Amino acid sequence: MPASALAFEAVTKQFGTLTAVDDLSFAVPEGSVFGFLGGNGAGKTTSLRMALDILTPTAGRIDVLGQPPSRENAAAIGFLPEERGLYKKMSVLDTIVYFGRLKRMEAGAAKASAMALLERLGLADRAKAPIEKLSKGMAQKVQVATALVNSPGLLMLDEPFSGLDPVNQAMLEDLIADAAKGGATVIFSTHVMQHAERLCDRLLLLARGTKRFEGTLDEARGALPFRLVLAARGDPAGLPGVMKATRTGGDGDWGEYAVEMADGAAPEGLLAHCTANGVALNRFDVHRPSLHEAFIHFVGSDPATPAGEAAR
Amino acid sequence: MRDVLLVAIREIRQITATKGFWIMLMALPVAIAVSGFASSAFAPEDSTAYTVVDETGTIGEGITERLALRDRQQELRDLAEYAERYDLQAIDPQAPWADRQAWLSEAEVRRFAEAGGAEAAVERIAPDLPAGVPPFELEDPSYVAVPLPDGVALTAANGEMGSALQAAFENDIAVDGRTLPYGAVLYIPQNFGEPGAAARVYTNGRSNQTLIQAFRDGLDGALRDRMFAAQGIAPATAQAIEGMAAPLAVIDPPPGSGRTEVMTRSLVPLALVYLLLITAVTTGSMMLQGVVEERSNKLFESVLACIRPDALMQGKLLGLGAVGIVIVLVWAGTGLAGAMYFEGFAAEVVKPSLAALDDPLLIAAMIFYFFAGYIVLAMLFLAIGAVSESMQDAQSYLTPAILLVMIPVMILMQAAIGSPNSPVVQVLSWVPLYTPFAMLARLATGVATWEILGTIALMVAFIWIELKLLGRIFRASLLNDGKPTLKRIASWVRSPGRQS
Repeated sequence: MPASALAFEAVTKQFGTLTAVDDLSFAVPEGSVFGFLGGNGAGKTTSLRMALDILTPTAGRIDVLGQPPSRENAAAIGFLPEERGLYKKMSVLDTIVYFGRLKRMEAGAAKASAMALLERLGLADRAKAPIEKLSKGMAQKVQVATALVNSPGLLMLDEPFSGLDPVNQAMLEDLIADAAKGGATVIFSTHVMQHAERLCDRLLLLARGTKRFEGTLDEARGALPFRLVLAARGDPAGLPGVMKATRTGGDGDWGEYAVEMADGAAPEGLLAHCTANGVALNRFDVHRPSLHEAFIHFVGSDPATPAGEAAR
Repeated sequence: MRDVLLVAIREIRQITATKGFWIMLMALPVAIAVSGFASSAFAPEDSTAYTVVDETGTIGEGITERLALRDRQQELRDLAEYAERYDLQAIDPQAPWADRQAWLSEAEVRRFAEAGGAEAAVERIAPDLPAGVPPFELEDPSYVAVPLPDGVALTAANGEMGSALQAAFENDIAVDGRTLPYGAVLYIPQNFGEPGAAARVYTNGRSNQTLIQAFRDGLDGALRDRMFAAQGIAPATAQAIEGMAAPLAVIDPPPGSGRTEVMTRSLVPLALVYLLLITAVTTGSMMLQGVVEERSNKLFESVLACIRPDALMQGKLLGLGAVGIVIVLVWAGTGLAGAMYFEGFAAEVVKPSLAALDDPLLIAAMIFYFFAGYIVLAMLFLAIGAVSESMQDAQSYLTPAILLVMIPVMILMQAAIGSPNSPVVQVLSWVPLYTPFAMLARLATGVATWEILGTIALMVAFIWIELKLLGRIFRASLLNDGKPTLKRIASWVRSPGRQS
């Protein structure tokens, strides 16, 4: 296992009587794209804030790039907060350069990097415009640029896709993928599973401040049984690996069956068996669970609905 | 420190990019220029025009002469004070203006007038005027005799004020290129002194006490002269009786002392108090707006991911402090330049006030109090910004806070000039929020060294505590989405780690 860019060990954060993060442990391997999944109030934002040293954990240990959280790491981190805001009167370029400077960059380097990003984001011609003259989507892109200006080794994005139109969402996905290709570790929180499905190497599912799952996308989906629907001439119950087959429809000889496989039995093996032994099939649909279904499985509720009180 | 500077520079750029900043910066210089111009262009005339219509042909001249003599008397008095202040008596020890009591003696005033009055005296002094002594400024005469305006006719029979005269009073009157208010007309009928024959004074309705008194004295004198003559008293004797004056010496303080001197000496520190109050309140409001903006659109989170809350807070204080210094320097500079330009004021007030601050401790203390006061107030505004959700919210804290500062300071400044050692001033000197104001106001009137050092120590301690508390409020409130209630704020101050 490669070194961790970010590791939580038994971290708890309490606000008064509310426990926002409860005994949370996980590790983000260097160079991976890591998804923080959870509904509102699951503890995603609190966790990120603790990693940034904006909040201090009540208990536990956090390692960021091999060090305890501190502003010393700011130069290597890019952060996009969930709630967006920029200085309205500042120009686009000045804003990005300012954040670059706050992250220990020299003025010249910050400016060069800012211009390159603006080119990429299609905002180069607005470099001198004050933020207040931009549309909301443009301002969001500027904020993304403030996170990326220092070419961070560790990128933390809190709900980066919220508020972006589909075109810009795709652009942001590209940016994230590029950053990952460049060797950066990317951590982003979201409650939209499709983004996580497309981007993430590894996932952390949170609910009410506790970890419900940590692992790869396949592992998450693998934790749920897949659904197999087949149409066969006879009852498939006796076939190897089939635990249970329920006829759900069909007419005459051809019956439609919902099949449950035994643990560890793969549908591919069943299909091979049928082909080799002349079992007549005219349908063989394997329906793998989506991340959304996995999420509901692990968390017990839909990601879009609040899974606890707001914890900040 | 790098972070603090970055934040400070951004704050400065933000503030200087606002129109409000430039309006404020230019407000005082423009006000000085306008008031300076206005006072020279639209200053009310010091002189009043009057007319004596004397049908007797004997009394009027005496009255005109008497009024002219009063101007000479005032001139002599001013000139003598000027001569004493700048030690010029030695230039001509025999001259009436070498004696500060001379104006009390009519004979001396006459001698002064006969020698050519102030014009001649200034000419006499000019060659021997030491370097650095401003020349004496000649005043316009208080009363100028003018002929009766065209179209105005006065008769013994008709005592009414005709419309022509009324118009003349209302329209002022042109004399030698100046437009003077037309104060009064004295009409002396030919048979003045006979029973039923009264002299009449027509006035423009404004108070011309001195003018009317002069008319009265002249008329009384004329009547007395007639009476003396009727009683067979020789004119010489009569004159001696009229010229009798009770021996009287008026002892003035030497020029530049007493109550006005307290004012003069305190001018620079008091001006600093005003500057402090105005700049702190205005720049403080600007910063408050900035903090509320950052807080309400959650900018803080991005910034705090990069730098510590303390650095953010200190950067804001530093940036605001720098803006404040620029404003103060521009204002003080233009104020001083304006004072120098209007020379009389500079010579009379500003220079002595600066000269009074000759002690390095005083100067150091003055600068310290100024900046300490600025920081204390700036932090107050920052704290308000940090606990306010919106500008509207901030306003509700701001008004009481400004009153809390303003009212005692206003009382303080009154008290400090009138009685610098009164208990209220003494007590407020030791209340940290007011210490800078109280001490600045008292500084030039003589404050014990222990008190200066003690209050400086108090301020240092207070600022340190205020910084700590503000740091806690800042840290706790910035990321807190809940509305900051008094209870919450209190808990933030008590324990910075917990947030509710």
